[in-house]
Parts: sequence; structure tokens; C-alpha cells
Amino acid sequence: MAGTEQGGEADRLAATLEGPLTHLQEARPFAKPRFQAQVLDVAGRLLTVPDGIARLHALAPRMDAAGIFAGSDWDAPANLLPGLVSGTLEHGAPASVAAEAVSLLRLLAVAKGETEHPRIHAAAARRFLTQVLALNMRRFFGATDEAARMAGAQQATTDALFRYLAEHVGFQDVLGELVDEIWRILRQRPIQVAHAKDMIAQIAITLSERGGEIGDRRLGADRLVSALFGPTSACMGDPGLDTYHERLAVMDETDLRHEAQGLARAMHDTGLVSDYHAAFLTWVLETEHDGMVADTLGLGTTGRDCMQQHRGLILELIRRAVRPETAQALYGMSLMLDRGILHHAPIAPALRRQLELAPCPAVAERLSMAGLHAADPADLLLAGCIQVLGLPLGVGQGANPTCQSARAIAMWAQNDPDYLLHLVAQGTRIDSVMMHFEGRAINSADLPAGLALGAPLDADPVSVVLVPHLDRIYAEMGRLCAARNDDPHIWINPEFHGWWVGRACAVAVDVPTGALAGIEDFIARFHTAYHPQYNSGEPVIHPQPAGIAATDAAGRFVGWHAITILRVVPDREGEMRVYFYNPNNDSGQDWGAGAVVSTHGSGERFGEASLPFETFASRLYLFHEDGMRPAASNRPAQDILERVAGQARGTWAAGREEISGEAISRLAATGPS
Amino acid sequence: MTEKNPDKGYVAILGWSLNAIDAIDRFDRRYVIVAPSWAEDYAKANDIPFIAWDFDRLNERSHEIAQILKDEGCDVAIPLFEETVEWAGAINSVLLDNARLLGQSMLFRDKSLMKRRAQLAGIRVGIFEEADNHADVVRFLKRVNQTLLKLEGDPDDPIHFKAFDKAGCLGHRTIRTVEDVDSISNDEFPALLESHLDGWEFAVEAWIKDGKIQFLNISEYVTLGYSVFVPATPELESWRPKIEEEINKLIKAFDIDFGFIHPEYFVTSDGTMYFGEVAYRPPGFNALELIERAYGFNGYQGIVLAFDPKTTQEELDAFFPTPVEDAKGHAGCFGAYPRRRVVERLEIPEETAKNPYFEFHELAQPMEQKVTKRTAFGTHWGLVYFFGEDPHQLRDLLKAQEELDFYV
Repeated sequence: MAGTEQGGEADRLAATLEGPLTHLQEARPFAKPRFQAQVLDVAGRLLTVPDGIARLHALAPRMDAAGIFAGSDWDAPANLLPGLVSGTLEHGAPASVAAEAVSLLRLLAVAKGETEHPRIHAAAARRFLTQVLALNMRRFFGATDEAARMAGAQQATTDALFRYLAEHVGFQDVLGELVDEIWRILRQRPIQVAHAKDMIAQIAITLSERGGEIGDRRLGADRLVSALFGPTSACMGDPGLDTYHERLAVMDETDLRHEAQGLARAMHDTGLVSDYHAAFLTWVLETEHDGMVADTLGLGTTGRDCMQQHRGLILELIRRAVRPETAQALYGMSLMLDRGILHHAPIAPALRRQLELAPCPAVAERLSMAGLHAADPADLLLAGCIQVLGLPLGVGQGANPTCQSARAIAMWAQNDPDYLLHLVAQGTRIDSVMMHFEGRAINSADLPAGLALGAPLDADPVSVVLVPHLDRIYAEMGRLCAARNDDPHIWINPEFHGWWVGRACAVAVDVPTGALAGIEDFIARFHTAYHPQYNSGEPVIHPQPAGIAATDAAGRFVGWHAITILRVVPDREGEMRVYFYNPNNDSGQDWGAGAVVSTHGSGERFGEASLPFETFASRLYLFHEDGMRPAASNRPAQDILERVAGQARGTWAAGREEISGEAISRLAATGPS
Repeated sequence: MTEKNPDKGYVAILGWSLNAIDAIDRFDRRYVIVAPSWAEDYAKANDIPFIAWDFDRLNERSHEIAQILKDEGCDVAIPLFEETVEWAGAINSVLLDNARLLGQSMLFRDKSLMKRRAQLAGIRVGIFEEADNHADVVRFLKRVNQTLLKLEGDPDDPIHFKAFDKAGCLGHRTIRTVEDVDSISNDEFPALLESHLDGWEFAVEAWIKDGKIQFLNISEYVTLGYSVFVPATPELESWRPKIEEEINKLIKAFDIDFGFIHPEYFVTSDGTMYFGEVAYRPPGFNALELIERAYGFNGYQGIVLAFDPKTTQEELDAFFPTPVEDAKGHAGCFGAYPRRRVVERLEIPEETAKNPYFEFHELAQPMEQKVTKRTAFGTHWGLVYFFGEDPHQLRDLLKAQEELDFYV
């Protein structure tokens, strides 16, 4: 065959792509899959020729709009997981490799403002790419040409793609943004930190190879890296556990105490537990230095007090649950003790039950898969319970559409921890959970799968055990209310979560029509129920479920989302704020039109998100109240109501019909209206 | 759905093919898909006009669907598959009030009747015979070779075995020895047996309206069952006037007023043309796509035009290009089949991947590692598409693919 020139190759393939791409564009949705395969075949080859990536970058938005991703996960770019990218590029079938590459390049086009995407905005695209690059930093930052040459054509193509992305996203920025991003996530103290740890590991490698070029972002990065790989002088430079043990063996009591405190300090600084820390705690127990446990856990006075009272139980829990593979349980243990919940009578026996609990085979299998077989399933679950009880607001839904279940687990962990352990025991033993709805028993094992078709595998162990059941029960309760012609949460929320959920429920949306109903009255009621200036200064006593109309950064309606209202108090500047829990894995979201949810720096506790009261009210569509307060005499001024309602109408309620008059308010107890 | 023209016909499509539905949905004729009920939910979910019908048996209920389509206001039914050809004939005899159409469709469905009708009309066909069992096949193989004055021990000339009512390459076997006969399973009978002709095999796709050829394409086979391209080489195209003459004979013999036919021919070295068989439906092997790649018009939309009684000659003239002259190049495809007994994965040979004529492939990853023996034509694992300016280069390239491993 005629030896085509290198640049000409890209020209030729781009021309070849034109035919299938036009077909794809024109094809009806049901006929797209066939042309997708053709386009991806040519795109995959274009990717490998000189100048091919740039061609694909230019074509990617058109390919996306033509439907190249229709019917695949790539079609919902906001839900993509950065951690899966390199696996697909390295081990995927050729069509998946091509699709992943095109997806990254269209996100690049969105991030750079070259195009707009209906389902992801520029900032989110940029954040995603930054995370992808962070996780693969070695591929474009550290990798020498030699290494790339050694690795073969596929690898070379992947590296070239990462380099291309890095050049266009901005080389230095990636590290800086990444460090900021990791700090921002860690400040929310999530339970699941594997992703953050992966990114930090990549940073560590980059720092050691190219440290000189990093500049002043180095400090934040160093703190992360050292917290994970060498929090104290005895483990600085990541010497390995064997060497570390040797060093510990020759330390005197004072050095050991310093070591314990140093490890605890790094843990409380970042929320990350180094493998060395877990190894140290184990070593301390094995070598009968167990007087240092409290220091190693970095306990405060409450924790030390609990420790003293339940010493045997706690040491037993540590022995089972804390090891390098489950290091984060150490942090969970520390916070659980400092919460003082062991002073609550049922907790200690419930934890003893947990120690003896052997998961049934199906549950053991799920736990092992989700925990990557890192430890015995019962121990994984024990570690998971300790973490959830230590960091109730660290529960996240993973990439699963199960915000209600995650919210419930977090709420019980915070407010009703022995009930949570009761459910865990049920789920673990018989892989089923029983609840009641208006007197009717619901057994999850008898129900079809709910929103989450499989058990979540990217969640914490407690969620792995409970979410499949909670999800089904929630769906079943919804089914039982389906005929009531109103928002089913009116009845479900109190029954599902617990007695403390307010029995009266206000809803801003008329469910049958989707119209906005009595929005100003709704906002007024919310003020009189929750705002201290309008409710005689009564604080939020128990966490209350509420519903948010979720929007993207452009303020466009995305869907209904479950959250929990935790506190309503003024921040340090005196601005009244609502502090809430969002089961989404990252609460720091931009909801558009100025509603940027804060997770740090405005008085938030770990895991809390917050918004100014009025901004929050403008995104709320459902809340519960006790309904026992007399009709409010202290209603907010009309201009406040109009202002807040205006914000709702300008964002999530845009384009909805409107029904004036009073807000929809129902008493759960009265049943259907 | 594309804006539909209410002054034009309303067509019923018999059979389920996403490619066809996609093309027709984008065309200006109203349409409804008539297909088995398993497709109903899918059709509903995708806003595809749909009537469920079971085509498994032609029986007393066939009048029922004709009535349903008549009540629906359909003007004509178009068959997509071999199995729906006689249904279309039955339905159209009602819709168009022309009883002859049912009989015509029966001819298309029975390879033996078809050949006899052609023969009666003075069309040259090879030696053929019906076979009901294995013994018939052995007898035919022996007799053909006796006629050819073969001596004991000379290799026999092959014969062709074609299941009566299967489309195209399905059920088409080449029989060389008595042992080959043993590998035929009982359910492939009855079948048509034909002598082998050494010559140039090609297929024709012809869109017909008012008994006239509106567009005629010649598809040149490089190797039967493996590869084909359009338009044909200048050498084969030089026979075009003669081929048109033959098609006109077919139109007359089968009394075809409208529609689409897909006959196969042999031309021997002395220029004698032998009729193989003809189908009254779109061809397999994605010939319509090759035609679209070469000429730019969609073959399914062309078929709708050819069937719709409300189509005008002006529309047809505007729709179809001038054969050969208007082609942008030559488009071909190759059906890849594993050459090894055990395969692990799909791998496009470097020679193919780097060839500037190579466009893309639709090869599937192997589902099992062990390759079953190829028994009939048409069981390839997917197609590889090529496009280029030079028909000879394309032909040689397609031929060369046969010696390459796509599965390793």
C-alpha cells in the first residue's frame, strides 16, 4: 500500500470518520448503536496517529451531540467517576477506549468554554479532568520517554492523551487545584477516603520526582502526603512497616508518647489515618504499652472517660477492626469515643453483639467485594460500624441513586445509634430488614429491588449491608402512598426515620401537576418553624429530613434531593445560616444563581454543609415541622417572602405553573386528604 | 419523525430491521411497521408506528392483516425479509385489488418454481433439480459429473445446494464429495440443486416502477460469501446493456410492475448469462449500505418510492442518480471468518488497518474460543468496510483479506 504521510493519516481518518458520524447524527435514537460502533472504530484509530488527538478534540463535541454516548454511562457526564478512567483506557475493549478518550476530550472542550453541554457545566468538567489528571499524574508529569517507549503502543497512546489533557487544562494548575480539592473534600470528613488516598499517592510520587517545579503549592501537598505516608519522624520517608517496627522497638516511653501524639495530630489535621498509625496502635497493644491507647487515638476528655469505663470492650474492638488495611477505623474509633455515645446504655451491649455477629453468606460476599477482600467480612463491617458511629455525617451515597438510604443511615448514626446497630444486626444475620408503615409490616426480603438494582459496592460497609434493604422499603412505602395524590414523603419520612420527624409536612409543589403551590406561604411557614427570630428562638432539636430542588451551576432544575436540616444558627458574622447534611459524597456544590454551598469556613462542623437561611429556603421544596405551634403571629415581612420566592422562581421553579394561596400542608397522621 | 407528506402513500413495512426503520422514519412517507409482538414494547418506547403480527404461518388469518392494513389506510406492503415476501404478496393483492400479486410472490418464495418460470420465459438457467433427501443429492452430483465426462478418480465438479426457502447465503452449500452430502441436516430439505458454473458471479439490485428499471446496480462478487463491491469493475459494467436486457426479461417473466428485486447471475467466459435466482426484497450483505456509500442515496427510501403507488416519475428521476457516472468511488465489504480453530481475540491485521481504503469494521469479539466449522455461506463474524477510487485495487484488496487473520 502507498506509504501515506503521517499528517495525511489524520486527515484521511478524519475524512473517513465523516461518513459514520453523519449517519450517527441523522440516525433515530434506536438506530444509533450501530453507528456508534462505526464511529468509535475510526475514532480509536484516529487517536493513535500523530495529530489525531487534536482532531478528536475538535470533533468531540459534535460526536457527543450526534449521540455517540447515547445509552451509555458517558451520556451522564456529571455522574462519571474519575477513578475509572485509567482502567478503561488501559484495559477496555477498543470501543471503550475510544469512547473514554472522546468523552475526556469533549469534557475538555466544555471546560475550556469551546462548547456547552446540557448536562455538565464548565467548572464541573474542569474539576473532573483535574481529578482524572491527578489520579494519573505519573503518566504525564513524571513519566520519562524511556518508560513510555518500553510500555508499548496502547500505553503510549494513553500517555499522549493524558499529556494532551494536562497541557490544555494547565500543568501547574492541576497539582494546585488537586491539593485544594483534596483538602476541601477531607474537611467534610467522608468515611470513604480511598479516592483521596489514591490522589495523594500520585502527588507523593510527583513530588519526589518533580518536586522542584511545584512552587508554593507545595506546603498543602506536603501536609497531605506526610499525613498518609510519614506523619512522624520515625516513619518519615515511608520506610515500610518492618523498619518502622524496628524503630519502635528501640524507643523509650517518652519517644513512644511523642510518636502517639504525632500520629494523632496528623490524623486530626486531615481525617486520614496512616498505615503506620494503625500499625503503631496494634504494636502498642501487642507490646503491652496499652496505656498509650488514648494518646494514640488522640482522645479528648469525653473519649478518655469512655475509654476508662469500657476499656475491655474498646480494646477488643480495636483488635478486630483496626489494622493497616482498615486504618480509617482508628479515626472512627477516636471520634466515636469523643462523642460519648458509649455513655448511652444500649451502645456497649450493642457493640458486644456486633463483635459476635457472623454475616450470613450473601452479606459476607457483598462485604468482601466492596472491601476488596482486605479483611474478614465481619471485621470489615465492625470497622464500618465504628466509622459510621464516629462520623455520622461522613456517610455518602457513592454513585448510587439512594440519597434517602444514605440520609437515613447518617441520621440514625447521629441521633439513634443503637437503632442503627439493631438494623445492622438484622441485615447482617438474615440479609433482610423489617420496618412498619402505618401498622403494616414490611420485610425487605419480600420486595423487588428499588432504585439501586445491585448492592452499592462503592460505599462504606454499613451502607453495603443496609442500603439494598432500606432502598426497597423506601420504595415500598412510596408504593403504598402512590394513590394519595400528594408528595409521598409526607407519610414516608416520619415512618421511615423515627418519631422525631415533625408530623406536619409542608410541600411547595403540587405533585399531580408539578406546579409551584403557595410558594410565599411555604417560605413563611419555613421561617416560623425553623428561623429563631420567628419561632421564639427554638433551636432545631433533632435532625429533620427535608427536600431540596437540586439545580446545576446554571440554576437549572436537576431533580429532587433528600437532605437533613441539622442546625439553624447565626455564623460568626451574625448571618443566620442553615446547616445541613447532604448524602451526596461532596456537599460543596454550586447550585447556581449565587447559591454556593459552603462546607468550610462558615461555622460548619465536619460533614456539614451550609447556606444563608434565605438562600436555603429558596431551594427547599419540602420540610417537616411539629405542627404544635399556634398559627404564627410572627410572620416574616412580605418583601422577604417575595425576595425568596423570586429566587425559587428564577431557578428550579422556572417554567412551572403556579397555584397561589396557602402552601400545601399535611399532617402525616391524617392520611390521605 | 420527519415531516410526512399526506399526498403520498402510506406504506406498511413487513419485518423488523432497525436500519430500515431508521431510514424510513427519516423519509417523507407515512409508514407502519408490521412485525412480531416481541418488538412491540421496543417500538412503543421509541415512537415507532407498530402493528404486531406473527408471520410464522400463512393461514386463513392472512386476510385479517390485509384488512387491518386496509382499514389503517395503507397503500402498499413492503417485505423486508424472505419470510415476509408472500405475506406482502397476499396483502398487496387486497390493498391493490390485484389477485395476481399473491401468485407472483409464491414464485419468489420457491426456488424451484422460480427457476422453471424463468426457464419457460426463455431465460437461460443452469442444470437444476429438486432434492428431497440425501440420495437425491448424491444422484445429482454423480449425474452432473457423468455429463461432464469425468473419469473415475477425477475430482468431481462441485454442485450447489440451496434450501428452498432460505434467504441468500443461508442454507447455501457447495457440495464436492459424497462426504459433503452427509453433513447436510434433514431440516435443510427440500432443496434446490444446481450445477456449478465457472464464471463471473454477480448480483443486481433493481428498483422497478411501472414495469421499468428505475435504477440498476451491479454488485460484483470477489468471492461468493466473502466479499462484494459496488459499482462493479469497468469490465463487468461493460455488460450492463446485456444485463438490463436480462432484467427486463425477468420483469416480463414474473410480471413485475413495481418493487425491488435482487437477482443473481453468472456470466461465462463466452458472454453467456445464466440466471441464478431472484429475491423480491432487500439483499443481505449490506449491499444497500455499499450503494449508499458509493452513490449517496438510501436504498430503503428508494424501495419505499418504488412500492408507493403515489410516487411520480419526476420523484424517481430526482431520487436516483446516474449509474456508475455519479458514484463517488467504489465501496466494498469483506465478511471475516476465523481461519484458526481456536481464537482468543479480534485483531485487525496491520495490513488492513493501515490501508487507506479501509474505513471501519463491525466485527464482534469472539464469544467462544473454539471456532465451529463453517458449514454454509453467510456465517461470517462481521463485516469490514472499504472505500476507494480504483475498483481493481479494491477488488484485489478484498481478495487479499481472505488470507489474513482477523481473529488470533
